[in-house]
Amino acid sequence: MNTISSKTIRLAEKLGISRFASTAVSGNEVSQVFTNRNPRNLEKMRIGYKPDGFHVDSLGKRYWHKLELKVTGRYVTAIIKHFENGEVLRASTSEWAIKKQLYKTKDTSAYVNLGRVLADRCLQCGLLEIGCFIQPASPDQKVAQFLKAVEDGGVSLKEPEQYKAPRPSDPYRPEKPWEVTE
Amino acid sequence: MALTIRTFLHPKLNNSAISCFKEALRHGHHLRGKPPGVAKSLEQKLEESRYKDPALHYRVDIGLPPPKVSRSQQLQERLKVLKGQKANPALEKVARSKELLINLEEVRKDSATTSAPIFIKNIADHYGVFEHLFGDAYFYPRVPLSIVYESGELDLPVFCGNTIKPNEAKGAPKISYDCDKDSLWTLVLTNPDGHFTEKDKEYVHWFIGNIPGNNVEQGETIVQYLQPFPPKGTGYHRHIFILYKQEKKVDFSKYKKNGPCLNLPDRTFSTYDFYRVLQDDLTPSGLAFFHSDWDTSLKEFYHQTLEMKEPIFEYDFPPPYVRKQEWFPLRKPFNLYMDKYRDPKQINKEFLMRKMKHVHPFKEPPPPLPYPNAQYFDGYIPSWLKLEKRKSRLRWGRINDIE
Repeated sequence: MNTISSKTIRLAEKLGISRFASTAVSGNEVSQVFTNRNPRNLEKMRIGYKPDGFHVDSLGKRYWHKLELKVTGRYVTAIIKHFENGEVLRASTSEWAIKKQLYKTKDTSAYVNLGRVLADRCLQCGLLEIGCFIQPASPDQKVAQFLKAVEDGGVSLKEPEQYKAPRPSDPYRPEKPWEVTE
Repeated sequence: MALTIRTFLHPKLNNSAISCFKEALRHGHHLRGKPPGVAKSLEQKLEESRYKDPALHYRVDIGLPPPKVSRSQQLQERLKVLKGQKANPALEKVARSKELLINLEEVRKDSATTSAPIFIKNIADHYGVFEHLFGDAYFYPRVPLSIVYESGELDLPVFCGNTIKPNEAKGAPKISYDCDKDSLWTLVLTNPDGHFTEKDKEYVHWFIGNIPGNNVEQGETIVQYLQPFPPKGTGYHRHIFILYKQEKKVDFSKYKKNGPCLNLPDRTFSTYDFYRVLQDDLTPSGLAFFHSDWDTSLKEFYHQTLEMKEPIFEYDFPPPYVRKQEWFPLRKPFNLYMDKYRDPKQINKEFLMRKMKHVHPFKEPPPPLPYPNAQYFDGYIPSWLKLEKRKSRLRWGRINDIE
């Protein structure tokens, strides 16, 4: 199991213990410390650790998930990488399910359709925000069209910042992302 | 340098005094450890720390074997299709004009039998599904599972990690999968993240055993369906559907719960223990899971259905680092320095007392200052106090903890 301390969520002190004394009546007891074992939970809540890197680092080191594009002689492959787990999701024009419907596996249409398939898979897997450090030279390029297709598919290509708990002496208290409800 | 200093010293000074001078000297830049090109990088060191001995930490595939396909026959068929694509002028025209949009529904359908088992297994590994349910075992979900929640007019399918809110999953979903008519199946929905008392246990939300073919309605309901109920502040909970293939009819009376089973300790479940007992008769073959987090509909659910008060949690951040207290804190502002080591509750109390001084039970509070920094200080006020006053006027720092 992963480290418990980082995934331990403690009852708000202000609620008091007496509030929960009454729950014992129906048998549904609640302990003071709750543990959520989901390894992606803190990242989804925006408080999980995100590598900070150094200020001289090249682009593409600070991310939870990032999008990578691999171009080989015949095919194009899009990969979603996690900073700890490495490759977690992929879509490629070499896959039969995609290749079957394409005319060529490396033309602009292939790039656009690859973007659409990848966005579809990301939504299925609950990866709605993915860091992207690919900078296409011009907006007419194949790569730019691919990125546009991913964004049109409903995936945001910008990751939110990690929420860091303010220290008592910090001037401001930023809004807690998990308390914001639409 | 050291020699020149020695000449200025009194000859009777002992050696310790000289060594004291020597230690104060700087002998240029020293590299600690090996130079950057030779030493291991952070990435290499992290990889080394993550290394697990494969003789001890190996994983076991407990799923169904992959379907047997004739490679040459498959290749012939695929080449035929590709040739047809190349000879299709209409498709070429659309592709060259950059207007070709492939059918995503068909891609999903085709990949369900080809690449989807690998893709679902990888993403389930990423979400720690196998680790928390089966320990060192894993499986490739060979049977494509289609699960749809019907919420109003919307159909919300369960894939592998998408989010479905509790008020959208109030009723049991519709399940379908392809199988033989004579086969028997078991479906279990568990939540490994939400147990209220034991952190290694799960809550079983739904359990149907001995399902003949894909008629889920005709299966034996062992535990009735219960909607997701992630408490406020605990984030996203995984709710995992696992479809097991049965070798024969299994007696689940040990797990049977009568009625709606709203007493949560009765729903405590462990997939690991469950599978360990029945591993000869069950083979995991289908997998789908969704995330669920708190929404406003849960308050009523806790009060009316579970008949308990709604638990609310808050994430416990590690306390900020404060360096050890010194005997003589030189060049440090005394008020800021002392605040670091005082009880934060006492500081908050002081702020609150100060605030309450100006609160009147019947008068409305004074309006906020339009220009809080342009206020006249009457008489002599030391600079540290001026700063404190400015900070409280601007609402900076610790004052925010009581507001």
